[in-house]
Amino acid sequence: MTADATPRPGGDPPIPSGSIYDLGYRGYDGPRLGRRHAVGALFTHTLLSCYGIGRGGRAKIIPFVLAGIAVLPAVIAVGLVALARQAGQAGEFITDASPIRYETYFEIVGQIVALFCAAQAPELLGRDQRYSVLSLYFSRALERTDYAIAKLGGFVVALLALVLAPQIILVLGLTLSSPDLAEGLGENLPKVPPILAQAITLSAVFGSLSLAIAAFTPRRAYATAGIIASFIIPPVVAEIAREVTSRDISRWFVLASPPDVIGATNAFFFDIRPDSSVIAAARHPGELYLAVAALAVAACTGILIRRYQRITA
Amino acid sequence: MTIFVTLVDVTLRGLVGRRRTVLLVLLAVLPIGLALLARLGGEAPDAAAALDALVVRIVLPLIALVFGTAALGAEIEDGTAVYLLTKPIARLHIVVAKVVVAALLTAALVAPSALATGLLMGGSDEGLAATLAVTPAVIIGSLLYAAAFVAISVVTTRALVIGLVYVVIWEGILAGILVGTRIFSIREAVLGFAGVLAPDAWEGGLEAAQAVGLALVVVIGGVALGARRLAVHEVRGGD
Amino acid sequence: MTADPRMTGATATAARAPGPASGPAPAIELDHVSRWYGNVVAVNDISFSLGPGVTGLLGPNGAGKSTLLHMLAGLLRPSAGRLTVAGEPAWRNPSLYRRIGLVPEREAVHAFLTGFEFARMNARLQRLPDPDAAAARAIRTVDLESAAHRQIGTYSKGMRQRAKIAGALVHEPTILLLDEPFNGMDPRQRLHMIALLRAMAAEGRTILFSSHILEEVERLADEVLVIHAGRLAASGDFRQIRRLMTDRPHTFRIRSSDDRALGAALVAQPAVFGVELSDGRLIARVGDYGAFTAALAATAKRAAVSLYEVAPTDDSLESVFAYLVRR
Repeated sequence: MTADATPRPGGDPPIPSGSIYDLGYRGYDGPRLGRRHAVGALFTHTLLSCYGIGRGGRAKIIPFVLAGIAVLPAVIAVGLVALARQAGQAGEFITDASPIRYETYFEIVGQIVALFCAAQAPELLGRDQRYSVLSLYFSRALERTDYAIAKLGGFVVALLALVLAPQIILVLGLTLSSPDLAEGLGENLPKVPPILAQAITLSAVFGSLSLAIAAFTPRRAYATAGIIASFIIPPVVAEIAREVTSRDISRWFVLASPPDVIGATNAFFFDIRPDSSVIAAARHPGELYLAVAALAVAACTGILIRRYQRITA
Repeated sequence: MTIFVTLVDVTLRGLVGRRRTVLLVLLAVLPIGLALLARLGGEAPDAAAALDALVVRIVLPLIALVFGTAALGAEIEDGTAVYLLTKPIARLHIVVAKVVVAALLTAALVAPSALATGLLMGGSDEGLAATLAVTPAVIIGSLLYAAAFVAISVVTTRALVIGLVYVVIWEGILAGILVGTRIFSIREAVLGFAGVLAPDAWEGGLEAAQAVGLALVVVIGGVALGARRLAVHEVRGGD
Repeated sequence: MTADPRMTGATATAARAPGPASGPAPAIELDHVSRWYGNVVAVNDISFSLGPGVTGLLGPNGAGKSTLLHMLAGLLRPSAGRLTVAGEPAWRNPSLYRRIGLVPEREAVHAFLTGFEFARMNARLQRLPDPDAAAARAIRTVDLESAAHRQIGTYSKGMRQRAKIAGALVHEPTILLLDEPFNGMDPRQRLHMIALLRAMAAEGRTILFSSHILEEVERLADEVLVIHAGRLAASGDFRQIRRLMTDRPHTFRIRSSDDRALGAALVAQPAVFGVELSDGRLIARVGDYGAFTAALAATAKRAAVSLYEVAPTDDSLESVFAYLVRR
């Protein structure tokens, strides 16, 4: 510090000119948690902010309303079954005929999941782009690829929670309401592996597709519209194509329609006949749909990573 | 009158000429493309069913959603609405102008889409009747959706998602399950209007009286709600 | 704007600065106005009244300047208190906009309009009889003619500011509210704008502009309102405010024929807190401004010292502001 003293107005003690003041800031030289923890932190943050946790009250409305609607049929079903079992023999009939079962649930909840994706995916990626905070992320231990993967992981797990919650309610409800617990377990436990498999497939496909679309625009409205269009339009196109074109052409349209692919993997995992006439008409083996799903996830993840490797931060 | 024209002009120029318009045109062209495909394939599909599935259920609400929420919502979000609000004009004028523009733009895309799709698909008299009936119905539907979505866009910045939830869940799912809610569904009203003109082709929708009733409620209620909320709309400063 | 005679001493918080006792109603009048968002109080019990002339609203970021301006522009509702512009409340009063012009802080303008079209749109929405002429006039006033027929999206930041100001001027408002108007302007544009605003104020308009840049306010404003954390810290002529802050010594720089002798003589004066000799100058720290100025000449004469230069060194808005904000 130079000894040059300049008098300051107001009678404050003279300060040296042109120096750096020691304000007591200290650098941190201790251990740092490193890249893995950075990725983990971003993953957790993404997962929580999908449901608006950690943000204000208003951010929770849409995800929780959608989650509520997704869970509602399961709650209703369990309620019905519980009541029906009280009714005895007639009850058996009702529970068997209930349209809300593990196999059918994914079709019921599919549109809700699509809405959830359209609502939340733009929030996850768009806000960081719009407010130019990506440079802050990338100047940390986090690599660009890590950012994309962490966001994808968080979002897919959030979708998994959305999709599994009603199924868990169903499993627990149906098991616990059966008169003989062992019998109930025997009936419902074997359903768990296909439930998990389908949930993972659905979450991965919908999640990676939504993020791949949302990554390309900071404007929420465009991303939302694009995502919902990609879920709503292809099935209708496939349906119409089936009616108006020949079998050989139309059977390939169904592979480009995410909801239909998921519907087919659903049928494959649960080993049932597919509900949708489009899928039935296409007559592809179940494994093909699974392969297409895996391919879609890989492709969308690749697009997402590439986008963030090239984006200007 | 100049006020109205000025508002319409600014809104129109703000909505058109962006990337979103190109995408919406593509969306409107999609059914036409499929109809072309059908025609070339030599099949003769049920025009009414196709128009219902494609145009009424997808193209109309989606395009109306984008234009309706952007007409006023985009200006509120990016801050240019201030220049309209700090003028000695009734808030009602602003809302009406926005609704009119959104409705016109939507109808400009959806009506030709419906018409062309139907004409390309149908060969039969029934198909023709269905097409000619649904075209004015979607024009009315454009107005209804526009009024509803503009009103919602004044109330919340997440109007697009809320509108989507309405279209997918309320109109899509609930109207199927809880039959009573059909009376509150704009889609059902559109089908009802089509049914007035061609009862054989369009059976599902609301009765004529119900459809008209809903239309009046939506348009008047939407515009009134939008105007009232806009009058107390607060614009926070940058601080 | 008149200063409150109750303002004394260290408490230069002008809680109330009443307008003229007789004559037309003040253009802007606030009476214990507050605005809060939930727990956060953005504007805290502010009262003042303004008439014609240029007033600067000075304060750091987050002080509540924009909130105050938006309330005056009828875009925010006061949570408490009474706020009138031209005698009427501003909230929910669209007809008032004939007399108010607002230049908001946000950069966003309709980018697809040209500068001229934007001004004309404003003119048309103001129901002016000849919008084209009004728009042309406004464009000329802000010196935007050369770029008037290019889209605003292609403008630089300073040009966009001028376009916004043109839009606010088309209807020749009697009350003009500007939120950080000099953002992005280069020095030449700023000088031009200052001259323009001064000219408008001379015509009898009331101009209130906000800034956190002291030099701008010092240059342009006749009066200042210093706002800090939502409260009005001071109001009036900033030199006057400075004089009222007697618990904070004024500093004078004096050059004389014999600094040391003068210094010794000054220390004997009750108004003087201290003297210092440095840099070939005599620095005097003074408590009572008025008493010192009265005593200086006599003291110098008695000590047989000639005064060559007497200059107050901290009579700047910056020192005023720094002092007020630090409290």
